[in-house]
Amino acid sequence: MKVRAVYALILLLAALPWFIGSRYIFHIATMITIMIPLVLGMHLMVRIGQLSLAHPAFWGLGAYASALLTMRLGMPPLLSLLVGAAVPSLVALAVGPIFLRIKGVFFVLLTFAFGEIVDLIFQEWTGLFGGNSGLYGIPKFSILGLRLTQIPHYYVLGLIAAILVYLLMRAIERSDVGAILESLNEDEMLSRSMGANALAWRVAAFVVSAFAAGISGGIYAFYIGFLSPDPFGFQTIVDLIVMVTVGGAGSVLGPVLGAIVTVPLPELLRDAREYQLMIYGVCLIGFMKFAKQGLISFIVDKRRGA
Amino acid sequence: MPHKGVARGETAVIAQMIVNGLLGGLIYVIMALGFTLIFGIMRIVNFAHGEFYMLGAVGVLVLFGNFGMNYFVAVVVAGLLTGALGVIAERVLFRSVVGEEMPGMIMSLGLSIILQSVVLLALGPEEQTVARPFSGIWRIAGAVVPWDRTVVSISAIIILVAFYIFLKFSRLGLAMQAVAQDPTTASLMGVESGTIYASAYGIACLLAGLGGALMAPIYTIGPYMGQSPMLKAFVVVVIGGLGSIPGAMLGGLLLGLTESVLATLMDSTTALIASFGVVLLVVLMRPNGLLGRTVR
Repeated sequence: MKVRAVYALILLLAALPWFIGSRYIFHIATMITIMIPLVLGMHLMVRIGQLSLAHPAFWGLGAYASALLTMRLGMPPLLSLLVGAAVPSLVALAVGPIFLRIKGVFFVLLTFAFGEIVDLIFQEWTGLFGGNSGLYGIPKFSILGLRLTQIPHYYVLGLIAAILVYLLMRAIERSDVGAILESLNEDEMLSRSMGANALAWRVAAFVVSAFAAGISGGIYAFYIGFLSPDPFGFQTIVDLIVMVTVGGAGSVLGPVLGAIVTVPLPELLRDAREYQLMIYGVCLIGFMKFAKQGLISFIVDKRRGA
Repeated sequence: MPHKGVARGETAVIAQMIVNGLLGGLIYVIMALGFTLIFGIMRIVNFAHGEFYMLGAVGVLVLFGNFGMNYFVAVVVAGLLTGALGVIAERVLFRSVVGEEMPGMIMSLGLSIILQSVVLLALGPEEQTVARPFSGIWRIAGAVVPWDRTVVSISAIIILVAFYIFLKFSRLGLAMQAVAQDPTTASLMGVESGTIYASAYGIACLLAGLGGALMAPIYTIGPYMGQSPMLKAFVVVVIGGLGSIPGAMLGGLLLGLTESVLATLMDSTTALIASFGVVLLVVLMRPNGLLGRTVR
């Protein structure tokens, strides 16, 4: 029952920008929908027990790849969005078999170092990525001859992507595959003895989660129209951890709630970044101290069978 | 910082690289020891470690810079205050997540952000400096050694020796090692785990605070100054083995020397990418570190 009420509330919130009609509210709502596929990708990795700090880099790879495919190769935006999202997926496929042998703290550090290298490459390879001065002139997104020029257009695009990725992640969670992924976190030895190829499933999860991050990156690139290496570094790592923690990792709905609660914060506190960080810190500590399972634990009270 | 203009000849360049490496490495060792102590005993990756370093430096800024206290007294007082704050943080925050890797990490990340923003509100975003209590240089084998760095390094060596004696010969130090090796047996033998957690976190923060306090006159002081030393400590500890004290010592000096060589031979960004590459390799080839023991 509670879950239905939350769904209804989210739908209501999703419709809210049209009732208010302000560009500013539309912008915040668009940013929320852009962050949802990214945080859902990160959440899929948390489900298999591996906190990946490489996802901001995957997000950036998706963003730069989509933008450059349209700008340099003249690819139609929808195609470059999909192909662009495949780029981080391929990178995940390449490094996954090596990285995912490592677990726990070491995986966290490994993905962090990887993300830093990717971000440094964004900064240093100025010929391709534009470096710190940025990549300008990303064309507007268009689909079937329809050019998206207004913020509400991008909100609809973001909403569609967020809903599709959410449905995909929920389907994965509820399927047998989801059960296998869960078992990798709970008891890997047992699930391997039952015949699951642990490494292969981990890589598959890594690739899918990188694709979700890439989609989110592509929409971000077309929406903002300008890219710099700045957003793809440490700050986004913190943002994503806050979203997953606040929302709770126990269900796919958790990170969505996390994004809805967290993303408006920097916009509301635009002139007081230091207070925003303090609120982030207090949230992290508060949830770790009093509600380790996040907001979702107040909504879904029974833990699904392990 | 390599003093390229001064060093002449190849021996001088090599000597300079070694001197710079050791001067930088000793502070890494101090940071890494505390970091590895907390992990070895509490299984917590302390992302707030750099902020305790920053607080030590801010302590010196206030006590030595503003109140004109004697430099060495200011360093000790700043270190002790940071350590005391660490004990409080352990009791209030970390006691409930001991042994849980993920919540411990998130908790320390939260503390790190809060400490940064508190200092940002108190000091403002501008980087501050304190007057250098020592100046001038001396030379060894053609290498230039600044006096202020020398004082820092000598103090660091004294701190390291004191820490070693504490760990090897005091009851508390032995109890800490016992808990790191086998918490259950240690508690059966009457070691009170709460005391050990509080002292481990406190001592680690004391070390970080002393490190920051010593470095205060050398670099600029600001809310984010702790991020780079924290990262270095993390890297050192991964290279040396999480939870390994000798590993932290060796790893710290090794990282200092590597950085100094890379900084002399390449530009700083390439050096940074190369050092992250080294970390990737070490984690992949020897996930328990060069001197780490296999866990379980």
